[in-house]
Parts: sequence; C-alpha cells; structure tokens
Amino acid sequence: MNPLLRHLLFFGLFAVLPALGAADYQRDIKPILRDRCSSCHGPLKQKADLRLDAGSLIPRESHAEILTRIVSDDEEERMPPEGARLSPEQVSLLRDWLASGAPFPPEEPVAKSPRQHWSFLPITPHPAVPESPHPHPVDAFLFGTGAAPRRAPDGSLLRRVHLDLIGLPPTVEEQRRFEEIPDLAAAIDNLLTRPEYGERWARHWLDVVRYADSNGYERDAEKPFVWRYRDYVIESLNRDKPYDRFILEQIAGDELSDASVETHVATGFLRLGHWDDEPADPQTDRYDQLDDIVSTTGQAFLGLTIGCARCHDHKFEPLTTRDYYSLVAIFEPLERPRKGRTELPLPIEGTEVYAWREPSAKAPPSTILIRGSVTRRGDPVQPAIPAILTERQPSFPAPGEKSTLRRLGLARWIADESNPLTARVIVNRVWQQHFGEGLVTTANDFGLMGAPPARPALLDWLAHWFMHEAHWSLKDLHRLLLTSQAWQAEKKEGAPIRYRRLEAEAIRDSMLAVSGQLNPKRFGPAFRPPIPLAAIEANTDRTSVWKPAAEPETSRRSIYAYIKRGLVIPMFETLDLADTVSSCPQRQVTTVAPQALTLFNGDFANEQATHFAERLRREAGSAPEAQIRLAWRIALNRNSSPNELDRMKSFLTEQSLEQLCRVILNLNEFVYPE
Amino acid sequence: MNRFLLNPTPFGPNRREFLWQAGAGFAGLALTDLLCREATASPLAPRVPHFPAKAKHCVFLFMNGGPSQVDTFDPKPALAKYHGKPYQGDAKVGSNGRPVGHLMQSPFEFKKHGRSGLEISSLFPHTARHADDLCVIRSMHADTAAHASGCLQMNTGGIFIGKPSLGSWLSYGLGTTNENLPSFVVMTDPRGGPIGSASNWSAGYMPAAFQGTLFRGSGSPLLDLAPPKNVTDRTQRRSLDLLKSLNEEHLQSRPGDSELMARIESYELAFRMQSEAAAVVDLSNESAATLEMYGLNQPRTADFGRKCLITRRLIENGVRFIQLYSGGGHIEDTWDGHTDCIKNHLTHAGETDQPIAALIADLKRTGLWEETLLVWGGEFGRTPTSEGVGKPGRDHDWHGFSMWLAGAGVKGGQAIGATDEFGFKAVEERCHVSDLHATILRLMGIDHTRLSYPHQGLNQRLTGVEERHIIAKALA
Repeated sequence: MNPLLRHLLFFGLFAVLPALGAADYQRDIKPILRDRCSSCHGPLKQKADLRLDAGSLIPRESHAEILTRIVSDDEEERMPPEGARLSPEQVSLLRDWLASGAPFPPEEPVAKSPRQHWSFLPITPHPAVPESPHPHPVDAFLFGTGAAPRRAPDGSLLRRVHLDLIGLPPTVEEQRRFEEIPDLAAAIDNLLTRPEYGERWARHWLDVVRYADSNGYERDAEKPFVWRYRDYVIESLNRDKPYDRFILEQIAGDELSDASVETHVATGFLRLGHWDDEPADPQTDRYDQLDDIVSTTGQAFLGLTIGCARCHDHKFEPLTTRDYYSLVAIFEPLERPRKGRTELPLPIEGTEVYAWREPSAKAPPSTILIRGSVTRRGDPVQPAIPAILTERQPSFPAPGEKSTLRRLGLARWIADESNPLTARVIVNRVWQQHFGEGLVTTANDFGLMGAPPARPALLDWLAHWFMHEAHWSLKDLHRLLLTSQAWQAEKKEGAPIRYRRLEAEAIRDSMLAVSGQLNPKRFGPAFRPPIPLAAIEANTDRTSVWKPAAEPETSRRSIYAYIKRGLVIPMFETLDLADTVSSCPQRQVTTVAPQALTLFNGDFANEQATHFAERLRREAGSAPEAQIRLAWRIALNRNSSPNELDRMKSFLTEQSLEQLCRVILNLNEFVYPE
Repeated sequence: MNRFLLNPTPFGPNRREFLWQAGAGFAGLALTDLLCREATASPLAPRVPHFPAKAKHCVFLFMNGGPSQVDTFDPKPALAKYHGKPYQGDAKVGSNGRPVGHLMQSPFEFKKHGRSGLEISSLFPHTARHADDLCVIRSMHADTAAHASGCLQMNTGGIFIGKPSLGSWLSYGLGTTNENLPSFVVMTDPRGGPIGSASNWSAGYMPAAFQGTLFRGSGSPLLDLAPPKNVTDRTQRRSLDLLKSLNEEHLQSRPGDSELMARIESYELAFRMQSEAAAVVDLSNESAATLEMYGLNQPRTADFGRKCLITRRLIENGVRFIQLYSGGGHIEDTWDGHTDCIKNHLTHAGETDQPIAALIADLKRTGLWEETLLVWGGEFGRTPTSEGVGKPGRDHDWHGFSMWLAGAGVKGGQAIGATDEFGFKAVEERCHVSDLHATILRLMGIDHTRLSYPHQGLNQRLTGVEERHIIAKALA
C-alpha cells in the first residue's frame, strides 16, 4: 500500500472512533461551526461582526452569549435561527469546549476575506517576465532558468497543429511540403487563415454557450434559424473579431450604435437555452429562462456560478440574491418572440434572426424574489454588477429609443479592460484547449470554490498581453501559445501539454478527411446524419423525430450536424459530446465499451473504412505494400514501420483492405494525437 | 494518478468540506472510494455504499402516462356515493384546459388480498397474489401536470432537462459488478418511447458512461452490438486481434498510460458484450413453463413478458438498474386514459399484470428477490373526476397518486399514506417524488444527502436542495 493511503487509512479510522474524552476540535467542534454557524458568521458574512468559522476567530468575551443563545427557547433569540436546534450532544460539546478555553490547533487555516480572492483583484498591470534563457515569455514563466522539455518530432507537430487548429489531419501533400520546409510558424500562420479554423474553434465556444438546434422537452421544437448564430461564431473567429467586440455583440448586439443583421444574430446567444413550451408554471418558467441567461452569461464570460444565488445568498461565493436579481433586471425587458407554443424568428432587415427582443425602452419593474418564489416579491432592484466585483457601479446608459440599453451597460463592463475576470477567463479557455488542461482547471468557475491558478503570474501576464498587446485578438493568442516550446514539447508525464483524446467531432471529421468523403460545404441549416433505428424507436414520434439527410450532405463537418436536445446523435453522445443544457467548461474523456461498438461496428465508421479502401486502391494501385504505406501516411501522418508493414501484409493475405482500414480508423494513435 | 475519471468521488467530501479540511488533514475522507479509484480506471468500477444494503439491483416498472390511483391501489368508496356529482374540493382539477367532469367511481372492484389484506383492484389479479410483498404508497405527489416534465421529475428529480437520472445516480454511486453489460438498462414500449425520450435516461451533467443504455428484447439488443453484415465472426476476431496488437505496440511508447490501456480493454469488453448481451436475450434455454408464466405465449402479454424475463436475466448478470416502460407514443397508447380510462387501463394492466407477477415469482424462485428492489408507478395519477361530463376518461392528477415498492429491504403488505376522501390529493404522510428517490437510494445503501456531483458551483444531488424524507415505514 502506498504511504499516502496508509496515512489516510490511519487517520480515517481515527476519525470515525466515537467521542470518548474531551471534545476534539477537528472532529467535534469544527463540523458544528461549519454546518450551523458559518453561513451567517463566516468569511462571506459576519452578522453582528462575529465570525465563528474558526476557533481562532471567536472572541473570548462572546463565549457566554454564544452559550446562552444556542440553548435559548426564545425563537427570536435562539441560534442557529433556522433549521433544527442543536442537539443536546452538540450543545454539550460546544459548552465543554468553550469552558476549556476553546482550544484550536495553532495551524488552523482561516479563510481570507473574499474581496482578497485572487480573481476578483485587478490583473497585475505590467507583470514582468522572469529572467530566463528562454526567449518565449510562456517558456520563461514555465521553465525559468531550467531546461525546456524535449521538442516533439516535426511530423508529430504537424499532425498536432493541424488537429488543434483545424480539427483535421494534414494531407499527404501538406506533409510532403512540411518535410521540405519544416517551418512550423509558417504552418501555424497558414492554418489560422483557413476557414476550417473557425469550424474547429467555434465548436469550443458552442460548448460554453450551451448551443443546440432544438428546445428539448415534449415537442423538442427546432429553434428557427438558430444556425445563423453558429455561422456567426465561425465567421467571427475566422475574421479574428476582437474578443471584446465578440462579447458586446452577443450580449447587446441589438443595442450597439452600429447594430447590423450580424450583431442581431449574435444575440442569439441569449436564446440558446432549453425551453419548455408547455411549462408546469408559466411564471416560474419565465424566471427559469432568465436564470439560464444569467447563469450562462456568468459562467461563459466571467467564470462565475451566479445561478446559485437565485433562492438565497450564495453559500460559498460572495454573491447575494440582490446581486442575482440585479443581473436578472438587466435581462428582464427581453421577450421571446412566439405565437403560443411556436417560437418565431425576428425579421431584421429582411433576414430571419433567432433572438429575443425588447418590446419597449421602458423596463418592467424588477424585484428580488424571496427564496426564488414568483409569489413572494421582495425589494425592488435596479440593474447592477455584483458588489464584490466592483468598488463603484458602472453607469448604465439611459434607455435608448428602442430598448433599455441595460444589456449594453453590462456588456461594456464585461468587455472593459479593467474587468478582473474577462481576460483571465478567455485566456484560460484558449490555454486549456491547446494544452489539454487549463492554468485554472475549473474553466467556468473562477470563484472561491474554483481551483486556484497553477501559474498566477503567467495567467496575468497572458491576460494583460491579450488585452494590451494583442488587442483581444484570439489568433494572436493562438500564435503566441503555439510558438512556445511548452506547446511543442513531447507529450510526456510532467510536460505542460497533456495527452488527450480528440473530441467526437474531430474524430468524425478526421475519418471523413481520411476516407476522402469530407464535404466542405459551409454554413446554413444543420444536417441530420443517419442514426441507428434503435435510437429512434425510443421516441414518441418515431416517424417524424429524425429524418436523416443523404450523401453528400451527411459528409459535412460535424459542427453542421443537428444537435437535438431530446435525441443526441448516438455516436456523439457516447463520445462525450458537451452537455446540451448548460455551459460546458471542458469535454469529459471517458472510455467505455459502447464507444468501441460505435467506432468498430457502427455504420458510419464502416462506411468510411470502405471509402478509405476505395481511395487507397485509386491512389496507390493494387499492390498491398503501396496501399499500406499510403494508408499510414493519410491516417497517421507517418511512415509505417517495417514491423507494421509485415503485419499488415500478412493480414491482407486473408482479409480485405476494407477490414484493414476499419482497424486503422480505430487505432488509439488515430484518436490520441502526439 | 488516473486522469480517467475527471470527476470527483461520489462519496467524497463535498467541496465545502474539502476546503475546510484542506490543511487540517484528510480525516473523514471516504477511504473505500479512494482505494477503489486507485485500483482501477473504470468509471463503472464497483463502489462500497454508505450503508450495508440488501438491494443490489433496482427494477423500475414505469407505467408511462400516469395510472389512475382510484382504479388501481387507492380504493375510494366515496366515489360510488358521489358518482356523477361535481367535485367541490380545493384541488386544481385537470391539466391544460381540458374539460372537467363529475366524480366517477371506479368500475374495478377492490378486494383485500393476502394475509395483510392489502386492497388491490381487479385490474391486477396476478400481482394481487403477491399483495403481502407490496408496499403501496398512496400519498405520492409531484410538481407538474405535464407528461414531459412529469416523466423528467420521476426520472431525474427535476422538471428541467439536463439532470442525471436515477439510474445514472445509482451507476455513479455504486458502479457495476459486470462491465460486460451496461449498468443501467432501459427497455421502451414497442409503440414508442416516453415523452422526452432520452432525457429520461440521460446522465445529464455527468459523463456519458453513466447514462441509460437502450436494450431491445430481441434481435441485436444494443446499438451497434453486431458487426456489419458482411463481417464474419472470424474476420471480426482477426480484426480485433490486429487492432489490439497494433495498439499494444503503440502503448510501448507510453507504458502504463491508463487511458490507452482502458481503450484497448474497451474493445475486448465490447466483444464480450456482444456475446453476453446476445445471450441475455436468447431465451431458448428457458422452460416452456417459464415462458408461459411470463405470458410469452399470448399476444397481449408477450412483449412486456419478454422484457420482464430479460430483466430477470439481466439481474442474474449483475445489471444495476433496469427500467421498463409500459406504454409509449401518445395518449391511449400509454396509460394516459383521457378518452376512456377504463378501456385504457384494461389494456395496459392486461399487458403487464401477469408478466410483473411472473417476475416477482421468478425472482423469488431464483433467490434474487433478496437483493432486488422493484418500483412500480407512473409520472403522476389521474383525476377521480371524469374528463368531461359523462365521459369515461380521466385527466392528469399530480396532487395525489399511488406507487408501490417491493423486494429487498421493503416492508410489504401495507399501504402508506392516504389521499383525501375522493382520492384527489395526498393528505396523510405526503410523499414527494424526491422523497421516493431518497427512499430508493436508501434501500440501495446510499444516503441521498451524501451522494453528490459538483456542477455549476453546487454539489448537485438527486433529491435537490430542499429537505427530503425517507419513507421510514417502507423499510423492513
């Protein structure tokens, strides 16, 4: 047994022994303080200026009153004021402990004031790059005066950079050119100019904004023209729209002075959520929809889990219900264009746009809902930013002619260079996608409960650089990160770059590219690929729920595939597609047998294997050796080893080329890029 | 450290506790779980529950559409007395603007059954023979009048999509003892799935490994289970062997990489699944008497009977959670008896009664009864009033309805709680859907307050944030 486990086992057993003697602080006292006292007398709130979340904080002169209050029969006096009373055992433990002078371990940790939480503090203005022999700032931060890890071989890097930036493996021709002139920086520049870049990276953003083509629930109706939002994201990335502008457009594109069809489409972001067109309670449903918007906006742009403050002050973050409903007030003027249960698009200059609308520039009154209940209205609220995030509230613009301009106020504050969270959050997302793991591993949660940054100085340097040097250019950020030795390192234990399976879309798209079937058609309504009958049978409307398209439409890139909330394409679902209901900070990587069934037995993979075999015959002729060599080049982007070649040749003496191709598409190496 | 399960430990400390304990030693951490995670990379590895539990498997017999309580397990003599009179109580009657008729007595006779004298209507003559095993809860109530949100609530605890279902929570919390089969199996009705289909067995924000797997009672039971038609068994094996040897050679460049090893293993697992799942639906070695007992020889009961028999076989093979749907598609194809509740319930009870009774008898015969929990019921009940004056239909009633539990750890032969005089509204020992969930988890050895999964800044639980209660009387 490893020593850590033994240690844990020992203390674990110790911890469950029944209380025999005097109260033990860790075992007996701290749990009571934590569970029953600290939500009002803790780091987030200090009612009566009293903190009880750690023994070291409890003033001696309060001991007597604490003892009186916890046994008081007066409902106005008793502590804790809500929930069950402390049990006689708990009271006696506390009494004994206080009587013996309230001893606590000297090393007892005391939580800091949330205002001092790292991500709420301003981004370090001019963070210095550490002294280092490495010229690249990222390497200087990561390796300092130490050595950088070994660089991956050129061939691996070409494959890596293609899959990373465009989600497709390099062609044989691209491999040849790179072998002649192995200029990785040029390859990066070139890939960033390709339309496939947006098709790859837009999907990462769609994960964050809970994109789907339908609403979910009984009718699971299509969101009309929602695909224009998907296309908007692809085009914005391809044009390298500055990220601050990207924020403004999605939250308040209709309220900008230079509003256009495009910026209206962008506000589709606000309408991407699930929606029950026959809700159990329409009034509550209205606030559920607003909650979806507030929660997603908080997580996507600010890395904050604001939704938890809907019914009560956030228990673990310095966010109050007032903060929450002040944000709700920003979106409350929005209305869903609809006719009964049917959603309607908005006509904007002759284009149908899937977005909300503000019917009037006069905002409806907003209030706190006590315990989240629509029947218990509390204090009125005005649009505001959570108090913890700003010393002074930004000035929300006065209502405009057509709308309240409340969202514009919020969007400007989020996109402002002084916002402590925005740049850190997006830089971390991009880092996570390139390196496999974020500097902050909880990409949607930069709050007190989130993980602390592994390299706070580097994160701040990147955030500052992104805003002030790159002027919010995501392409510049890609270029910066990919030219570091850190990103180009061999993916070995301890390297900053993780070895990670491709996402479902990149696996499918790679198969199409390899088989030669990839249909490059861009944009427009989503296509429905064929799915197994068994998945359709389990629906209420089996004849109408999924009408698959035909070739070549079905060989388009995965980002154009229809994401139906009630019937997710099984191959995507089993390969860990993002949750379609709430913001997904990072794809899961699970490995289970149904994935093997889909990729080995499923129609799609077998069809691509057949096409791949035809392609090999066409391009390499009938000689097995030539076919194998080309297959390795196309699918794995390297030469086959003599050993592999022998084994393949012997396999081909009794099995078909189609079978060989099926095996190649299922190799670990195919889905785990070096 | 394995990177496989990105997720936290089901029984580990919650994040708040973790913060509190950081620096203060790890006393109190769930050790069994740590040990398990160290030993294996699979998200479905078996885990030790909070309490020693008798129930190791759970079968949810989902009566899709909403069976009527006053026609099944909740006799209301007052309905006979006031038959044809308008309802004057305070419960909101009916859903979605449907017409509200008068109080309507049940045409089905209730009789006392077994030593316990549990009252069951004539719809279930076969199940009634096991009356002493049934624990009927007559005071169920839900939060919604619509099927979509009702099914979601019964399956996931919430009326919104995106939450993990009961079977996912059990798979996450307990893992499985046989990875050659899915841990969470769903069998839908030949007429179609429930409203909301896959949202009802979704893993929500949990990894896909915990989601329900659709299982078909004949042919190829799992999606993509069989190799393509033109591929012989020999070719399949030779191809898998080649894949394995190439993957193993590739693994030499990264010795010990747990993800790569797991992926190699997943193909072998899939291969074993192919034979094992096919064997489960191959009923050729079942006796004629068994087939007859389940009703496979009668058209009416053949489909559900087959599913019940396969259920027993899945339990024998270690499957954790099995959900069977009776009724699918819309309205009268389900228990949703809006037009003619009498005819409707005769149909659906007629299809399921004998198979369910056979499953109970068969589980007892094989000894699996001692470790299997059965749950029967739909997303809500039906109104004691007719839908429209003088019509035989009944509308949705979510204020009060009946479900039953039976099997391992359940105290049978009793009815818990009560609805009002007419059967509209649960009034005594009210039991919310989430209370039922808490009770099911408890019977499976899990404390519902301690099984959590972090998502969006909260430790999410099946039973939500409200205070929920285990139905203590139901426990043996």
